[in-house]
Amino acid sequence: MGGAHSSLGTGPTRRTLLAGGAAALLAGCGRRDPNALSFWATGYEGDYAPYLLTAFERATGIPVDRQSLPGTAAHEKFLTAFAGGSLPDVLMLPSGWVAEFAMIGAIAPVPDAALTGDTFPGVVRPLTWAGVAHAVPWSVGSQVQFYRRDLLAEVGYDAPPGDWDGWRTLGARLKRRHPDRFAMLMFLNWWDTLVTFAGQAGAYPLKDQETRGNFRTAEYREALGFYASLFADGYAPGVSSNEVQDPLAAFAQGWFALYPSGPTLLTDLHRRTAEIAPDRWGTARMPGPNGPGRVSAVNNSLAVSAATKRPEEAWALVRHLSSAESELHYQRLIGVLPARRSAWASPQLADPVLRPFAEQMEVPARLPTIVEWERIRAEVQLVAERVVRGGLTIDEGLRAMDARVDALLAKRRALVAAGRIA
Amino acid sequence: MTRQERAAWLFAAPVLGIIALVFVLPTLLAFGLSLTDYSIYALADWSNLRFVGLGNFADLLSTPLFWRALRNTALFAALGVPMAIGASLFTALLLHDATVRWKPVWRVALFAPYVTGVVATAVVWRYVLNTRFGLVNWALAQVGVAPVDWLGDPRWSIPAILLFVTWKVFGYNMIVFTAALAAVPGELMEAARLDGAGWWTRFRHVTLPAIGPTLLLAAVMSVAGFLQIFAEPYVMTLGGPSQSTTTVLYFMFEEGFKWWNLGQASAVAFVLFVLILALTLVQTRIGKRYEWL
Repeated sequence: MGGAHSSLGTGPTRRTLLAGGAAALLAGCGRRDPNALSFWATGYEGDYAPYLLTAFERATGIPVDRQSLPGTAAHEKFLTAFAGGSLPDVLMLPSGWVAEFAMIGAIAPVPDAALTGDTFPGVVRPLTWAGVAHAVPWSVGSQVQFYRRDLLAEVGYDAPPGDWDGWRTLGARLKRRHPDRFAMLMFLNWWDTLVTFAGQAGAYPLKDQETRGNFRTAEYREALGFYASLFADGYAPGVSSNEVQDPLAAFAQGWFALYPSGPTLLTDLHRRTAEIAPDRWGTARMPGPNGPGRVSAVNNSLAVSAATKRPEEAWALVRHLSSAESELHYQRLIGVLPARRSAWASPQLADPVLRPFAEQMEVPARLPTIVEWERIRAEVQLVAERVVRGGLTIDEGLRAMDARVDALLAKRRALVAAGRIA
Repeated sequence: MTRQERAAWLFAAPVLGIIALVFVLPTLLAFGLSLTDYSIYALADWSNLRFVGLGNFADLLSTPLFWRALRNTALFAALGVPMAIGASLFTALLLHDATVRWKPVWRVALFAPYVTGVVATAVVWRYVLNTRFGLVNWALAQVGVAPVDWLGDPRWSIPAILLFVTWKVFGYNMIVFTAALAAVPGELMEAARLDGAGWWTRFRHVTLPAIGPTLLLAAVMSVAGFLQIFAEPYVMTLGGPSQSTTTVLYFMFEEGFKWWNLGQASAVAFVLFVLILALTLVQTRIGKRYEWL
């Protein structure tokens, strides 16, 4: 609203013009090398890319211009960049987006099969479009339970249970011991944990050639029921990510004892040992209905723009970034886990806190790879949030999910029926 | 056409040309786009594009979230406009009082939020509104009120954001009102005072008619601004909790730029355009009746 106000209310004053001119001048003075390869990445990967890029720049003499994107806005930024013809030469994509960007013709097929070999099961499948891999696996990950050893010991546990009933029992005990605290933290606006639970329960979200929602199933009902019960019984606080400014600090203070999260939390935990000593936390596999099972992966990959003018050099950069050596270097820097299986032979990955990740990587749950999937999981989570906040019952929620997903897939249904997409 | 008229048209032509180029043309294009099913499939292959007539508008009317977004936006505007203008007018009247010292300092301090970046201030306000550690809940606790889950409870999220928005924008209209108040004739005030008019009567019958046109301008701008509220919920709540702060513009942004359903998003934009135009027409009619225009 402020923006609308200023543009309507004041118009371009001399001052804003001057400021704009100054900004343009500064940008002009910035060291944006016209000969540089451009590389966009999100999160820590983007922030720390210069550390990996210096070796590449030294070895090849090709300068690289790196941009770090916020993860929450990356999807629209990439799409807008493609529509505007300004995609970078090399981009980091969450693996779930690769099929979408391959379909719109934004990214080029991988020219060398060796680049996509040497990885974990199920990693290349979502990167494949029309039978050809369009991105190179870069890092792998999934949610595991991060838990507070000391808080669990207070209620008589060495490690958190691996099954749902056990999780609820632990939740009840933790809650009884500290009624003003919580057992676990699962953000209501993040889809990861519900998707993980659904995968554990063996639910697959779509049916009929992925043209309709498949939520009114016994498996999905079980997963959503379990998820909602954790909030209903007060084991988990009904909060969104924007309300907890520093979840790690809250974890360190013991506001909750279990925190399903991905590998990047490891980095923060290693960095902030003054707040939370290394002997006070551990990791365990995510709980399943009857013990740990298949867990959906959260992987990242590297792709090359289909419109790049320098494909050879772009692929050389991908080759460098995805080498076992670079991936291990990155693991030391920011904790992301190498997608190359051969890198896992390194003693640096023998740390016991990484074992749950490695075990889960071997048994990934299958996820849809259709264009609409990114939106579907976001909208399904919106319905789940309404179930948790009490607007809907479980069955109403499942029906709402099916209805919403069917509406989102209308265009895809029409295209499949017309035989335009497989 | 007389010579004078020709000259007038000639001088107005550059501006009219620019308006046609940056306003009329995009509006027509957006309306054209809203009659198609432009989506990410059309981005992949133009042959996937179809003409759907008013289908997008019919779809919108049957989308519950659109109605929700409309209701949320109406709530933002209905509560926000009086709050923001009331705060502006109140502070302007305070600053106008002859007994107030250090006026420039107060003006700068109260105007500062308006020129501060919305993202930076929203981040600070998220801390202020934090349920466990926030300043607001701490203050409430001092008077014995239980903590309010400002940004996490669907019933409180709109008031919480309005609190922030009001604080953020009232400075602009405050400055405008200060200027308008300075133009209220002093002798009229004196005459009213001599006739025995109290504080309220003087405000109602001397001040208000004098600043009427300014008030109308502020109302038109505020209504248009509040109907297009986007950045604040985007930064503070991401449209949540339970989509209680999803506004029409936020809905349009998600449809269009996040999911690339530009056909649907253009339909939303068009509906919003018609809505703002209609409300502004109503406001100008009211203004005309009081002879403020």
